[in-house]
Amino acid sequence: MTNLVKRYGQTLAVDSLSLSVPQGSMFGFLGPNGSGKSTTIGCLTGLLDPTAGSVEILGSPFTAESAGLKRRMGVMPETLGLFDPLYAHEFLAFVARMYGLEESDVRRRVTELLAALDLTDARKTLAEFSTGMRKRVAFAASVIHSPDVLFLDEPFESIDPAGVALLKQWLRRFTEQGRTVFITSHVLETVERLCDRVAIITKPGKLVWQGGITVLAGEGAIHHDGKDFGSLEALFLHLTGERYTDLNWL
Amino acid sequence: MNWKRIGDLIRLRYKLMWARTRLRSGKIALFAIGYLLVALLAALLAAGGLGAGILAIRTGQAERMAQVVLSGLFVNAVFGSVLLGFGMNAVFGDVELRRFPLRRRERFVARHFLGMADPFWFFILALEAGLVVGLYVYGTYSFWYGALAVLLLHVCSYLLTRVVGVWAENLMNTRSGSMVVLGLILALSLVPGTLMPMLKKNPALAAGSLAVLRYTPPFGAAAAMTHQGPRAFLGMGLIALWAVGLAAVLAALERRPAGRRQAAANVGVAWESPLDRVASLFGPRMAPLVGYWLRFYLRNNRFRMLYLFSLPLAAFIVYNLGQIPKWVASPFVAALGALPIVAFMGTSRIAVNQYGYAGGAFRRFFLFPTDSAASLRAGSYAAVLLSAAMIPPTAILWAVFAPRPLDPRVVLMPAIDAVTALFAFHAIGLWTTLYGPRRGDYDKSIGNDLSLMGNIVVIGSTFACIFAPIALGRAATPANWWLALPPAALAAAFYAASLRGASAVFPGRRERLLAVLEGKA
Repeated sequence: MTNLVKRYGQTLAVDSLSLSVPQGSMFGFLGPNGSGKSTTIGCLTGLLDPTAGSVEILGSPFTAESAGLKRRMGVMPETLGLFDPLYAHEFLAFVARMYGLEESDVRRRVTELLAALDLTDARKTLAEFSTGMRKRVAFAASVIHSPDVLFLDEPFESIDPAGVALLKQWLRRFTEQGRTVFITSHVLETVERLCDRVAIITKPGKLVWQGGITVLAGEGAIHHDGKDFGSLEALFLHLTGERYTDLNWL
Repeated sequence: MNWKRIGDLIRLRYKLMWARTRLRSGKIALFAIGYLLVALLAALLAAGGLGAGILAIRTGQAERMAQVVLSGLFVNAVFGSVLLGFGMNAVFGDVELRRFPLRRRERFVARHFLGMADPFWFFILALEAGLVVGLYVYGTYSFWYGALAVLLLHVCSYLLTRVVGVWAENLMNTRSGSMVVLGLILALSLVPGTLMPMLKKNPALAAGSLAVLRYTPPFGAAAAMTHQGPRAFLGMGLIALWAVGLAAVLAALERRPAGRRQAAANVGVAWESPLDRVASLFGPRMAPLVGYWLRFYLRNNRFRMLYLFSLPLAAFIVYNLGQIPKWVASPFVAALGALPIVAFMGTSRIAVNQYGYAGGAFRRFFLFPTDSAASLRAGSYAAVLLSAAMIPPTAILWAVFAPRPLDPRVVLMPAIDAVTALFAFHAIGLWTTLYGPRRGDYDKSIGNDLSLMGNIVVIGSTFACIFAPIALGRAATPANWWLALPPAALAAAFYAASLRGASAVFPGRRERLLAVLEGKA
């Protein structure tokens, strides 16, 4: 994305954000609450129209009407975007058909995903699923058509450890095949272990740092502002403004 | 009882109302003017009640007059709010109130005080209060007895409405609930038509019915208003007893919350249902979306209830309006208005607010590799398909009960009118979806969660259907059946143009829709 700007009326949500995500990377997109992460993902996936700036995905210009590119993208939105009156298999089959999969592939992939993600209770509609199960369904819907780029907005929250381990394993294999994952999360330890590169933004959607973080896995440190940061958390707190307020009644 | 906290919550309810209006730019003035109009209307309604009070004194039949007026208001308040949903929206649920330091009984009282603070109930109270003032000013009746009786009656009508609402909600979540509700609605719709002739023929039955009615809240209130001493106390005691009883029933019903409709135990993964086969008629690109929307409608309690209700409603309108000789002239004219209502009643709530019940799922439509307005069109196709399916059975039913000898044009003309209403309503529904959205609760069967524009379209269309044939006067005869054809063609053209027009507008409206649906506007 180049000089991406998004305004809601007078409110600036994203301020001239420019980012380049290498193909085949696991890219972490971090920022405090309300910093514009979901708005940026909205612009990158066609939900929102940028006020200014441009977006390129897989080397081609992207707009809300870029149907060809959308076919190659998988998105797990912040609100999950589930159709609550449907059963899990109906929803996944619906999504797969919308992406134009052959009927035999629809049935095979839905069956395999439901089994792998332990979503085989066919008596419950999505509205009756627990938060963690809903998250698994949303993840399944984002990968069912084997996209080349995957946008995941807070994918690990509410999922149990076994489920998180499975998703991580799938995501690693995904990038090994040369596909790209764009991920937002507040769980910095997970991002540190999973991602190769990270971008950190602050309010209002302003880029403050981006770079590789693989050095942290080898007990190394990230050098920034003349300081060494041994963890992503330390760097994040430094960049976004570490605050500690003591409430004496608490 | 923590009255201070309950008072705080009532204040918060009005603050929230105000805040919601303030969030929408340019609506502040509208809100103020709206409330001014409401106040004027309330004054007018109170004057109406006052008129009844004056009439009661002048005719010398104060108690009988009060019984009639209060019973009418009571029945209208209960059924009007259950059917149209006014005054039925819970501001805070029990779960939300649990975060506050309130005991179960206090939460119950707080929720229902908040419910009674809905402006709708003030209309009813204003009317009832007008009667009290009339009896006091022009007669010799006690103002305080009357005021207390009206307040208790007001509580009774609110509680009965809630009891009916919660009971219907619970019932709709059972497997055979829809059929039970349909049976009850059918029975109730036939009551006025069958009971009145029976009562006229059999005075003893009328006297017996009157004796039973003496134990109802409106009759109790009428006695308390128009008597003094023991009879007034008895009347007051009767309403108080009803209020306590209804509160107990409501508390018991609320303790057994509605379970979700359970699928059959042996449900398995079905890859293609009849709905998918119907949807496939729209081509491979639209089929998944149409299939989804068909399920969205058919699994919605509100749709099912209104869909089933539309047929007895049509029968009720034909039967009752058709008996007003000078005004409507014939059952045929009544049928010209009733059949078109069937063509949109079932789908009406969702068709004018397609995305209002989708919540966060709305985002999903923009992720698919298709034009985003396809979801809007698919939703409308599903609604038209479902509504159109009601026209043939309604026409056949009308043919069975229509006056003999049967002229085919007597069936044909209302059926063509129904097609007109089908296309015209769903065309307007597309625009209302885009310009009058409101976040609603998919799981609620009862309650009105449409925007002002949505309500105007639904209620206005219903009244337009009933009154348009009456306005036609002598032209509304079977011989002029062909008069129905041009409006049907125009409505179909309007629908086609609306599909194209709304699809073009949709991408530009999506951020506004998203803000409304996610509670940010």
